[in-house]
This record gives sequence, structure tokens and C-alpha cells, in this order.
Amino acid sequence: MTISGRFVLLLALGVVPIVVAGALAGAASGAPTPAAVAAAGGQAAWLALLAWAALCAGLGAIDLSLAGSPRRVALQRELPPRVRLGEAVESHLIVQNLGGRALRAVVRDGWQPSAGVVGPNRSPLRIPTGERRRATLVLVPRRRGDRRVGQVTIRSAGPLGLWSRQATLAAPGVLRVLPPFASRVHLPSRLTRLRELDGRTPILIRGQGTEFDSIREYVRGDDVRSIDWRATARRTDPDAPGGTRLMVRTWRPERDRRIVIVTDTSRTAAARIADEPRLDTAFEASLLLSALASHAGDRVDWLAWDRRVRGRVHGANGAELLAKLVDVMSTIDPELIEADWAAVPAQVRRLTSRRALVVLLTGVDSPANAAGLLAMLPQLTSRHFVIVASVADPDAVAASGGTDDLDQVYRAAAAERGLLDGARVEAAIRRLGAETVSAPPQELPPALADRYLALKAAGRL
Amino acid sequence: MNGTNAPAPPAELPAPETPATARDADPRQATSITPTLRGGLRRARTWIAIGAVAILGAVALLVLQGGIRGGGPPLGADNPAPAGAKAVVEVLRAQGVEVDEVSAFDDARSAARGGATVVVADVAGFLDPERLGELADTAERLVVIAPDFASLDALAEGVRLAGTASGALDGAACELPAAERAGTLSDGQGLLRIDDGARAAGWQGCFPDGEFGFALAEGPGDGGRITIVAAPTAFANETIDEAGNAALALGILGETGALAWYVPGIEDVDAATAPTLGELTPGWVTPVILLLIVLVVVAAVWRGRRFGPLVAEDLVVDVPVAETREGRARLYERSAVRTHALDQLRIGALGRLLGILKLPRSADVREIAHAAALATGRDPYATERLLVDEEPADDRRLVELAAAIHELEAEVRRTLRPDADPTQSTERPGRPS
Repeated sequence: MTISGRFVLLLALGVVPIVVAGALAGAASGAPTPAAVAAAGGQAAWLALLAWAALCAGLGAIDLSLAGSPRRVALQRELPPRVRLGEAVESHLIVQNLGGRALRAVVRDGWQPSAGVVGPNRSPLRIPTGERRRATLVLVPRRRGDRRVGQVTIRSAGPLGLWSRQATLAAPGVLRVLPPFASRVHLPSRLTRLRELDGRTPILIRGQGTEFDSIREYVRGDDVRSIDWRATARRTDPDAPGGTRLMVRTWRPERDRRIVIVTDTSRTAAARIADEPRLDTAFEASLLLSALASHAGDRVDWLAWDRRVRGRVHGANGAELLAKLVDVMSTIDPELIEADWAAVPAQVRRLTSRRALVVLLTGVDSPANAAGLLAMLPQLTSRHFVIVASVADPDAVAASGGTDDLDQVYRAAAAERGLLDGARVEAAIRRLGAETVSAPPQELPPALADRYLALKAAGRL
Repeated sequence: MNGTNAPAPPAELPAPETPATARDADPRQATSITPTLRGGLRRARTWIAIGAVAILGAVALLVLQGGIRGGGPPLGADNPAPAGAKAVVEVLRAQGVEVDEVSAFDDARSAARGGATVVVADVAGFLDPERLGELADTAERLVVIAPDFASLDALAEGVRLAGTASGALDGAACELPAAERAGTLSDGQGLLRIDDGARAAGWQGCFPDGEFGFALAEGPGDGGRITIVAAPTAFANETIDEAGNAALALGILGETGALAWYVPGIEDVDAATAPTLGELTPGWVTPVILLLIVLVVVAAVWRGRRFGPLVAEDLVVDVPVAETREGRARLYERSAVRTHALDQLRIGALGRLLGILKLPRSADVREIAHAAALATGRDPYATERLLVDEEPADDRRLVELAAAIHELEAEVRRTLRPDADPTQSTERPGRPS
């Protein structure tokens, strides 16, 4: 049961009858002294107070007994299963009145705060007996993952709107919020470069390790270095007897290479750099690289790992790959445990037995934290081509330049120490035969994509 | 996701005549999380039972102990509390004295006119001194227990309050028979001082405490004898059985056959003065104030009633990465490791200079310093001191050196790569060839 502002107002209006009754009774009593007048007025005022309170309570009770039952309703949800973070989505709740009285209800849908209900979460509904009405909310989720709703609270007012009945009903629902993939703005330019590599644009690129595709006749503009003289000698010109036609070799980039992306979800991934957790940056980079690689014809496997497999996408291709990736990623949050790097080679082996490009998305902060990673790396680099991609902190670079006062100097020294530690770890990683990519959060996904393209162009996969 | 417990197919949507028949078990009805009133009571019945038993037990205990009766005023004739005077009154009654409990001034005065001894036990000081004087004029015998300053002034001009006694009092030292019979008084007595004028008027004191005063004063009033006892100790239930207290109390009070025990109440205050502000305010003010209080409570319920239970939000782990850096900086600062802090800056700068000056990786720090000096035209030894040797003596020097290192690095960069963007990372991959 609840009371409304209208009831409070009604009760407040009781001041008028109390004052009037008190004043009238005092004047009518005709008592000789002012004290006696006040006493006579007081009695009448007390009576008026009691009467008014009784009136209000009685009206409220009648109102309450006439209110429709908030329990006797059927609830149904209409909700899209997925939404990308940052996009708005409409959530519909269909309330059917099963009771015998019309329902004058206010409905609150119990979404989690991070589901981001736009506007007040109070939908006024008037539902006649047996009919149903729709309450619509606009949600702009604020976090990725499963945003849940478990309950619906209905407040049913009586005809006077004084007292209401209230009940909370179970009506579970889930909205999966996918990672935003904001780095997809970098995809078109990288795809253009990929097409250049692929030979689909009229530029012939002769890469060192790219695969031989075919031999065709020379046309003006082809690189003279790609003329295949042996094939030219075999090819006689039908138009000019005795003459030959120039033949060129065409190349295309390697295809069907394996790429394994291992995303570290341990405590290093929880660090927030430039207002974005490392894990989210890692997801962005994974998505951009996956999109690019699947366009290039390579096969991408994705693994989220700390001490156990937090998520895995294996054997998907094309559009299905990205859909699966965002779906798996959406519910993964970093955990405050240390990553078990020693088990990573086995996990990679389970995904592919062939030589692959293994991308480790983690943080390289200090030699102490990276000990596990460094100990494991030789096992991976002996079989695979390894890139360790990490998010650099742009604030550290900025802080290392501060020399204005003592405070800043110490801060600069601490930042410089951190950068040196990071550089040491990166140098160690390179010594172990892996490559490193380190960039601020916004730049890491394109930087990783560029490194992939460079490797592809050089045929090093 | 369509997450209802009983999704209703739209075909069987409007059910015109169902309400009466399918009242309780409609399969489409959503399950309620809020318990019904009956369900709530059933769930809480253990606690309700425990609460009821506790309240009943407390009530029973109070009734058994008699504590449910209010204590009444101090020295009240029917007050069994330690500060009451029921004991002495009951004993007097048993001895045949007719004790009349009086609470109104008019009753006390009429009893005084009837020849009864009047006891004024006004510990709280309700009685107006003038009225006490009036009572003294009419009463043949008046006993005043624990009077305040103004009352004493109205009764006996030369008798003053003189603090409390230092301990038990031995020896009445006066000719009052009751006092002589009592002999001693317990600890906790008050004292009265009787000046020469009062002595001349016939006042005498009993139970002296050295030179400080007397516990009891007796003298002539306008109407009859007046006995003043400075403290209620001799009459209170708690202390009446100590020393000669009881003998004194019974002796003073039991001289006549009738006794009026007058305990003034709140209605004796200021009866003759003009009407107060409270009496002049209109009668409706108090009800309106009560209404406003109720209104505040109701409004609080209106605003405070929650629209359904709170929804839990699972929060993610979040570690600001700058924390480590800040912590390390504060650690440097607190332990004032100036040389160590400066060395960090030097190592960083030397590493970058190595790249800018394109020296071999094997170059040692002095070579780098000399190369930097050469590039900028600075004094090579000063540069070497700056980059390697000097230890900052104080904080000011540390800041100066840090700024100088920064400046040197920027200058070398400017000199060797005038158009280079200093923020550009050497790590960035180039475009594929």
C-alpha cells in the first residue's frame, strides 16, 4: 500500500475546517475571559481534527478497496536480444489486466541502472478489464555485457487517487550489450590497402614471399621486373611469326593463414588507461584484426584466457565470425587474478596445429609482472609468429616531461621508471623472437591492423 | 527476450467472462514477488509470536513489581518510591493519627482552620511564598519540609539556608521534645542558620552542625508554631529508618490527632497572575500543530515509499593505471631519493639521445654526453656533469637539473631533426612497400 501526494494535500486542507471550527465555536461560546474563549474553541478544533482525520482515512480506505489488483496481471516482454553499446533500443512491456476491475496503474520496470533507461522509469497505464497495454522504455545501455531485468512493480490507484496498492511481479528479461567496435571506422582504409595487396586494384605488387598466382600477357604499366622470360620464350606470337609475347607473373598474397588472437583477461586487463579498460581496447583490436583477416581470407581463432578459457571462437568465418566474437566478448569482464601463461601454448595447439600468427593482447608493465609471459614465449615463437600487443599509457609520456616543480619532477621520474620498465620488457620480448606493438588505446587497433598488413605484404605469415 | 513465466498467445487475448470463474488460478498471471498481507503475516508469525510474548512478559513483570504505578511526587503521602513518604504516613495512621492527603491549597487552608497540623512538602517549589505565608497565618502547627529561599523568607525573617550538613548529627541541643527523643539524625541533612533577630523573636534551632547551622528550626508564626526541617531526608522512605530520623518525624507530626499532608502540585503555581501566552492563543493552534506533525509523517511516507525493491548492479573491476605511477612518485618524494629520481630521468633521456644521435647501442654514457654536447655546441664537461655526475644537493637543484636535462634533450632534437615530430613513435610500422 502507498499513499499519493493527493492524499497529503487532502490531509493538509484539514487546517481550514480546524481553524474555522475553532474560531466559530470560540466566538459562539460568549465566555467572559480570552482564556475561556480559547478553551471553548480548542475543544471544537480537536473535534474537527479528529473528524477530518477520520474522513481522510475513510476515503483512503474506500479508495484502496476500489483499486484494481496489481497482482492479477499477465506480463510479457518484447525485447531485441542484442544491441551494440552506445545504441538505443526500445523495450516493450505488455501488461494484461486479468482482474475484475479497471487498472489505473503506474508501472516501473526493474532494469539495472547500467541498462540506461532514458527518462523516468514510470509508465502510467489505464487498462480496462481483460485488455492489455504496452509500456515502452528507451534504453541506452552504459556497459557491455548482459543487462538484466528481474521484476516489474505495479502501483494501482483507486478512483480517487488517494491510496494505491503496490506489488512487484517477476518478469525476467536479458538484453545482451555487445562491444561497440568503434574501431570499425579504420576498416575501410585497411581494406583498400588489402585490395591493393590482393591485386584487385590495378597495381601490381611484387612481394617477396607472396604466392605465385598465374602467368598472363604483359600489358603496359606492369612492373618490368615481373616479366617471366622463360614463359615468354615458350610463348610464340601468333600475329608475328617468330616473335614472342612478353609474359608476366602475377602474385597474390598468401591466403588461408591461421591467426590466433589470445586476449588476456587477468588483472592486467582491468587497468583503465585513458578512460578505457585494457580489456575493451583488446576487444576493439581483436575485432578490427578479425574483420580484416577474414576479408583477407585468413582464418581467425579467438581465445580469452586468464587461468581458464573465458571465451573461445573457433572455426567461424566472414560475418559469422564477427557476430560470434562480439557475442562471446560481451559478457567477459576482467578478473583480479594473475594470468596462467604457461598453459597458453597448449591452448594455441588445441586451436591450430599449423604455423600461425599468434597475437597476445596483454599489458607489458614491469619485468616482475611479465615473468610468466617471458618464460612461455620461446615455446610459442618456436612454432609460430608471435606479436605481443599492449596498450601504452599516453599519460605516462606526458607526465615524464613535467619539470615545473618538485612534485612534477618526482612524478616525471616515476613515469620515466615505468616507461623504462615497459621498454625493458618489450626488448626482452623482441629478444625472444616475438614482435611488439604498443600504442595508446585509440591507436592500438589500427596499429595492430597495420602490422598485420605489413606482415602480409612481406609474406612473413 | 520474451521472458515471461506464462507467455500468452495473442489468440486468446480478451477473456470477457473469465474474472469471476478463473479468479485464483489464471495460468497467465505473473508470479508476485511481494508477499500478500496474509503471506507476510504467516512468514513473520514466529517473530510476531516472540514479540507478543516479550510484550506480555514485560507487562506481567511490571504489574507484579507494582512498578506500573507512577512514583508520584517526592514526599507524596502515597508514594512508595525511595523519595516518597508513604512509610511515615502509614505509621502515623497506624498510631491513630488521622492523615488527610491534600493536593489543593484551599483544602490545606481549610484543614488548617480545623486545627490540624499541616505538613507542606514542597520539594519541587511549586507553592507561591505568599500563599505559604497565608498558610502560616492560619495553621496552628505548620511543618515545612525543605523550603526554598523565597518560602523561608516569607515564613521566618531571620532564618536562612546554610548548605548541607557535613555528616550525621549527634545531639538535639534544644528543648524540643521530639528532637530530644530522636537524639541523632542520619547523614544528608540540610542546614539552617538562625540570626540574632530571629532568636529574639523566639526561634530556636536543633541538631547543630558545629557552627554552621541547624538541621531543624522551630519558632512562632503569626498563627501558631512553625517547624522547618531543611532536608526531606528525615521523612523519605529511603532514609527514615536511619538514626533517629523516624523518631523525629513521628514526634513532630504526631503531636496532634489530625494531620493534613499537603504536597503542592502544578496547579498551585501562579494562580493569581495574568493569563499567559499559552492561555491567550486560540484553541485551534494545538490541533493544527498536531495536524502538521501528522502531515509531515504522511508526506514522509508518500515520498519515502519505494517503488519496488532495489535492483542490484554487478560492478566490474576497475584499476586506474596511473595509481602505480602516483604511488611511486609519492614514495620517491617521501623518502627524498633525489639522486635516484634524477637517475630515472637521466636513463630515459640518455636512451632517447642514443636514438636521436644515431650512436651505436654499445656507446657508454660519457660518449653520449659528449656527442650531445658536440651537437649543441655546449661545454662537454658541463653536459657530462648534467647527464652523469652531479648529485642534486637539495630539492631546488633537483628541479633545476631535471629542467636542464629536458631542455638538453629538446635542443638536441631541434638541432638534429628540425622538422621531426617529437611525439612520433619509432615503433610505428611503415606502409607496406
